[in-house]
Amino acid sequence: MSDLAAVMAIARKDLLQELRSKAATVATVFFTATTLLMMAFALGREQGVLERSAPGVLWVALVFAGVTAAAQSFQADLEDGALDQLLTYPVPRAAVYLGKMLATWAYLSVLGLLLAPIATTLYGAAVTGTAAVALLALTVVLGAFGFATIATLYAALTANLQAREALLPVLMFPVVVPIVLAAVRATESLLGGTGGPVGDWLLLLLGFDLVYFVVCASLFHFVVDE
Amino acid sequence: MTLAAQGAAPADAAGGVPTPAVSLRGVVRRMGRDTVLRGIDLDVAPGKLVVLRGSNGSGKTTLLRLLATRLRPHAGEARLFGHDLVRRAEAARARVGLLGSSGGSYPVLTGRENLRLAAAIAGKGRGADEVDAALARVGLTHAADKLVRFYSSGMKKRLGLARQLLLDADLWLLDEPYAALDEEGKRLVDVCLTEARGRGRTVLLASHEQDRHDLAPDATLELVDGRVRLAAAAAAVVGP
Repeated sequence: MSDLAAVMAIARKDLLQELRSKAATVATVFFTATTLLMMAFALGREQGVLERSAPGVLWVALVFAGVTAAAQSFQADLEDGALDQLLTYPVPRAAVYLGKMLATWAYLSVLGLLLAPIATTLYGAAVTGTAAVALLALTVVLGAFGFATIATLYAALTANLQAREALLPVLMFPVVVPIVLAAVRATESLLGGTGGPVGDWLLLLLGFDLVYFVVCASLFHFVVDE
Repeated sequence: MTLAAQGAAPADAAGGVPTPAVSLRGVVRRMGRDTVLRGIDLDVAPGKLVVLRGSNGSGKTTLLRLLATRLRPHAGEARLFGHDLVRRAEAARARVGLLGSSGGSYPVLTGRENLRLAAAIAGKGRGADEVDAALARVGLTHAADKLVRFYSSGMKKRLGLARQLLLDADLWLLDEPYAALDEEGKRLVDVCLTEARGRGRTVLLASHEQDRHDLAPDATLELVDGRVRLAAAAAAVVGP
């Protein structure tokens, strides 16, 4: 019970920090907006090309925004030795991981849920029906979960490195490919493309989420204990 | 080196010699290529107040971080209250409170929020009254709802001391607790540490401060060449 309270306290703290500092928000909102606009200009006026590109562009924007959000989550902890302090409290390392992961997940989910309608509108890709909208929301939430599990571990791994901004995406992008692939395909199916049955992709996404969650939570103490 | 129990130090279940608060045997720790701790042997009985001195880079912070389970020993055996620091780190952590040299607070939270957070994560059910009392004790009532990013260095140190008071762990580890404090703040640290010892807490602090007249440590240790040696001790504190 106290471990759960610690998890919630850490997640709440991370979200409150972000709400006040807006350090990640400013960077991610500008970045995602710029990505969507630049890609729309780059892809030209042909409607079919824009529609087909919408799922990929949406997830590319979300993935890069997620890197910034995860890195910022640990950056705030490094100030004034707060991470050192946090890791001296008598809670399992997995609880610290879970708290930070939940905050990143919540942040990315909200960002993705705001971004999805903007991207589909901008790229002229229609999502028809309440069920399709709900499934798109589920795809965003599951994709954000998988990404957050990996990003939290790798952000902790690179937190103390000088070149962390450059290293974080280099190290984690190869690992995050299955999550992005499944999320893009599920989104493509929902936007009327050729992604195949959406249920299959969502199940695959859920499977990867669970595997990555267990692995990353188990490895976290190796990353933070020196 | 043994800083032995005296007075009312708690005995173990069998009524014999009390389990040391800190027990180190041949502890070695490297930082990069440097071997900072070169075989530390040390026993500190519960309820002792020990000052750790040493020049810059002598390993004081490394030793405190190792005791706080933030660093693992590369060789040797380290125990806190009988708990192995590597194999039973979580149990050891439940007995330790660290005040690091940077204060360890979150700049974007208020002083009050920082203390509430610490109590929530540490699993100590502290109420609002106890948080307010800790803030009042260190003279931060007026700044309780101010973001820590607007605190001075001395105020951050006071907030760290308030966290130590609030959590009141069995072993207090303090890294340069006097740094950035005014004279009144330094006296406050002395009083709080002396009171903590009076409650049976073990206190181990690393400091460059000389001649703290309000503090009467049971022993002063010096870290030289990665090893501990006794610089001064109260009578009957040093064991065989």
